Amino acid sequence: MKVSNTFMNRRNFFWLISPSILFLLIIQVYPAIYSWYLSFGRIKGGKYTFAGLKNFTRLLHNSDFYESLARTGIFTFSFLIACIGIGLILALLLNRCTKFTALYMTIIFVPMVLSEVVGGTMWRWMFQQSFGLVQAFLNPFINNVSILSRPWGAMAVVIAASVWKQLAFTALLFLGALQTVPKELFESAALDGATRSEMFWKITWVIIRPTVLLASIITTIRGINALGLILATTQGGPGSSTMTEAVFLYRTAWQFGKFGDAAALSVMMFLINITLGAVYIRLLKES
Amino acid sequence: MLIRSKAQIIRDEFVTHGLLIFFSLIMVFPVALSLMTSFKTKTDVMILPPRFFPPQWTIEGYLKVFQSDLIPIYMPNSAINAFVSTIITVIFAAFAAYGFSRFKFKGSRALQLGILGLMMIPGVTNLVSYYRLGSQLGILSTHLIMVLVYTGFELPFGLLILKNFFDAIPIDLEEAAKIDGCNSVRVLWHVLIPLSLPGLFVAFLLILVYTWNEFLFAVTLLSANSARTAMVGLYDFQTSFEVAYHALSAASIIVLLPILLVFILGRKTFFRAMMEGALKG
Repeated sequence: MKVSNTFMNRRNFFWLISPSILFLLIIQVYPAIYSWYLSFGRIKGGKYTFAGLKNFTRLLHNSDFYESLARTGIFTFSFLIACIGIGLILALLLNRCTKFTALYMTIIFVPMVLSEVVGGTMWRWMFQQSFGLVQAFLNPFINNVSILSRPWGAMAVVIAASVWKQLAFTALLFLGALQTVPKELFESAALDGATRSEMFWKITWVIIRPTVLLASIITTIRGINALGLILATTQGGPGSSTMTEAVFLYRTAWQFGKFGDAAALSVMMFLINITLGAVYIRLLKES
Repeated sequence: MLIRSKAQIIRDEFVTHGLLIFFSLIMVFPVALSLMTSFKTKTDVMILPPRFFPPQWTIEGYLKVFQSDLIPIYMPNSAINAFVSTIITVIFAAFAAYGFSRFKFKGSRALQLGILGLMMIPGVTNLVSYYRLGSQLGILSTHLIMVLVYTGFELPFGLLILKNFFDAIPIDLEEAAKIDGCNSVRVLWHVLIPLSLPGLFVAFLLILVYTWNEFLFAVTLLSANSARTAMVGLYDFQTSFEVAYHALSAASIIVLLPILLVFILGRKTFFRAMMEGALKG
């Protein structure tokens, strides 16, 4: 390949990228390796002793681990379906819309720029036991108990809050893809007498499918690792009914001080993420 | 579309806007409710049945927040962590992005994909390591650890945005300037920096929003009250303000205001970045 710049050479390139590479090695790569080291050890009073696979076996005998795993599955699956489904509907609406599009987009985008804690605080307040405004509407149906104090209710609220916060991401990503669909295709299809649903599945869907796939992977990864908003909304409660694997990790380390177990959990989550990340990179390469 | 009647078009418009208004209301409702709550009195927060609008407008909640550590301690901490790490990230990412954009070599793409791959690994798997390493180095509860972590975490994202920007700046411009007798420094100063300013601004805004809002690293790595950020402070208020939801709402509004301003000023930037597939929330 031709070196395409008159004053860009190997040495200059090296100096340009080395600060970033150095930072990434120290802040991302080294801690990732370090958590493997921690996961094989016992940490007591800040001291590390090698413990082999003890952390992992203890974790695999802990029912909380499996229950959290199941909750992560429920959370991520619902989160994924809602983000993709509602996101797609929103994108199609925005794409058809000719007036006020920027205004709608601004409003829909607001939850995304809010912090997780602010979002969580707002959702807690809506469902507050006695004075929550949304709770007041639900009260006649659920015996005047906050929906947040019911295991399934809390899970539903946490999912809804997460979707609320993440929706603009998928919607705008899809909108970007929809705008690449050539309008002439629809016109000729309409002339051929195609119905709307035919046009959607045979034209739009084919073109946006890679984007949907990418968005699904990213959303899945975010779902599995969701933590901030769950903490801010329910702190994993009531009991442990919204304790996903990420919340379990947080509790293990910062509530129970079991850093060895938490490290083992980190390693397992890391492996899941790496696998999904590899799928993602493959898709990126293909597109 | 060609064969639709006028009535159909009007019906379509109606349905489209109806649904979009419905979605917009849902999206904005939690924020609007907090805004209204923040202007209620302590007693009006606790009336039954609860009301949306304050029966009596007051800034009692805000006054209560002004007495807390949020404004003198937590907000400045957030600002320092966010600004310092964002500036460092943008500078380093710009160097690297320019390098990758202009110097082609075998393995360049693989290296870039590797760096982007790091973006896919979420913070939660590194939390325990950061805590341990931070405590061994004695830098827990400092600006230093937050700046380091944020910079390391946001670099791949900055790199992704900025590389796209540099790729769009034609190399000929630089070469023409060089032929006209500019040295590298002058090319950088007179050609490259002015042309890439919009890109640097985009990266700056997006990363600033992320770092200001960041909660997870902050809540695990900052325990001293003097080092807490606005998000950690707000999280603590959830328990300490308990039913004082007017104050809690006021604190939420104060904390989100700077970011909302940044977003409204630069919203086109955000939309474009999102539609082009920039990945961070």
